[in-house]
Amino acid sequence: MSITPVIEVRELSRTYRKNGHETPVLRGVSFAIGRGEFVAITGASGSGKSTLMNILGLLDQPDGGEYRLDGQDVSHADDDARADLRNRHIGFVFQQFHLMDRVSALENVMLPLLYAVEELADGEARARRALETVGLGHRVGHRPGELSGGEQQRVAIARALINDPALVLADEPTGNLDATNGAEILTLLRALKAQGRTIVLVTHDPAVAAQADRVLAMRDGQLAPAAG
Amino acid sequence: MSRTARLVRDVTATLRANAQRSALMMAGMAVAVGVLATVIIIGQGTRAEILATVQKHGLDMIMVRAGGDVQVFAPRADRGLASLMEEDAQAIRTVPHVTLVSPVQNQRGITVVGGERSVVTRAFGVGVDWMEIRRWGISDGDFLSREDEAGMARVAMLGAGVARALFPDGGAVGSAVRVNGDPYTVKGVFVEMGASAGGDDWDDRIVVPYTTATRRLLNRPYLEQIVLRVSDARRVDAVAEQIRGVLRVRHNIAPGTPDDFFVREPEDVEGAALETSNTLTALLIGIALVALLAGGIVIMNLMLLAVSQRTHEIGLRRAVGARRGDITTQFLVEALLVALGGGVLGIGLALIATAVIQAMALAPVAITPLPFIAALAACTLLGVSFGLPPARRAAAVDPATSLRERRL
Repeated sequence: MSITPVIEVRELSRTYRKNGHETPVLRGVSFAIGRGEFVAITGASGSGKSTLMNILGLLDQPDGGEYRLDGQDVSHADDDARADLRNRHIGFVFQQFHLMDRVSALENVMLPLLYAVEELADGEARARRALETVGLGHRVGHRPGELSGGEQQRVAIARALINDPALVLADEPTGNLDATNGAEILTLLRALKAQGRTIVLVTHDPAVAAQADRVLAMRDGQLAPAAG
Repeated sequence: MSRTARLVRDVTATLRANAQRSALMMAGMAVAVGVLATVIIIGQGTRAEILATVQKHGLDMIMVRAGGDVQVFAPRADRGLASLMEEDAQAIRTVPHVTLVSPVQNQRGITVVGGERSVVTRAFGVGVDWMEIRRWGISDGDFLSREDEAGMARVAMLGAGVARALFPDGGAVGSAVRVNGDPYTVKGVFVEMGASAGGDDWDDRIVVPYTTATRRLLNRPYLEQIVLRVSDARRVDAVAEQIRGVLRVRHNIAPGTPDDFFVREPEDVEGAALETSNTLTALLIGIALVALLAGGIVIMNLMLLAVSQRTHEIGLRRAVGARRGDITTQFLVEALLVALGGGVLGIGLALIATAVIQAMALAPVAITPLPFIAALAACTLLGVSFGLPPARRAAAVDPATSLRERRL
């Protein structure tokens, strides 16, 4: 098969240096994620999964190895280039939602458009469609404070979708939600996968990870063999 | 819309959403700018008023008389009467801050005949800059020219009184007159000047080029006076002292021997007033600048606070595609808009203050573009310089770390 994977990493390594101490957190991680896959990355705290997620999300850079995003080598992209790549190709969903309280759901969803390299003429229509996709078409004018936790996370997912990204990166998206709302968010992510989205879910919770098609288990800076 | 325009629009939305904080940041700036602009408006007003006084009373004029102090008591005394020469006027021309110099000769008992009428008046021989030094005006014709001076021309200016006496029906300019028997052409007529404080009738005189007076009309080389203009009324004292030195050297006056000339300065009261007002203005501007600095520091601190409160938001913006430069731009624009907004409010305050000051006649005011340009320039400078530290700190926020921290 010659289909380009959305994510392809080879021998990724990352070492934190602080006060002369060197702490290796990633020690040669290699894997690929194909288009339309729903993959969970799991691991205990300190296993390196957060660092891996930062590198996949272009918020951090590896010290060694190679990272190809949508076929493009981004291992050495500079800060501005990574900002543009995040804007164009990656949709983030966070445990803390990270919505701006003082503006409406619609304006929150439109935030990434502010930093788009080329302005979209139909930004607001796209934002409305994204909110409809997550089932919040009736709440566009509400502020985050007027929405439930589950609704807030769905606004965040709509924001992640606004630029039609190659990859949706969800970091503990259910961590701040009760069981019912958490389940709804996972159902929504599965529905997005069914629409052809590529989703990487980072979680420490095996039950959440079980919702994914495939699980990459991190342990001690490396992928645990033969997981999922 | 360009990326920058989008960023600026987003900043204005942020400022509106935080109206209270924005108003607080602007307030300090507004007061400082208000004080600064008002001080400049009063300073300019005072300056204009003093300048008008200087012009009216000739406070920038120095008169050097031949004969030394003794002349005050014995104006006819022979001693020193021939002490000032044309070369002295040339020497005075080289003294710094002296802008205009004119030799002056004068003689009473000059007979002027025009047609069938005649008057006995006083003749003055002067240089071409004399009229500007004395700030006289002409009602008809022209003043003496450099050609008249170089050619010892037989031309004369008539005082208003002389012109009235000789040509009661007008038409003096261009007419032929006889001055002590010689034929002269009337070149111009002075406006009514009235009388001097000493009782001299300024309208009862004729004025001819000093070269004509020296070589033809009076036929003597020495001068009664040299008058000169100083570039700045505040320098009159220093310039007068220098002239005294120059003339003493030229006249070979030994130390301890009195001058054979007398340097008369204008009353120095107004000059002192000018200096006082300058000092006061400088002091008030200093206070205003300290206030501006305080306003800038208020903006900086509130923005630094905002950066730490908005760390998550900054991290989020970075995650969704804001470049470091975008964050810097947004915070700088925010500081700049707040500073300029405060500046505009401050200008409003200054205009209100000016109206009150004017209505109550507390101080002279003059509204020129200067205070407004100064205020807005100061705001721009302060906005950028005090906005830079918060902007830098905001741009340095690490998205990966800030996004994982718990909120609240």
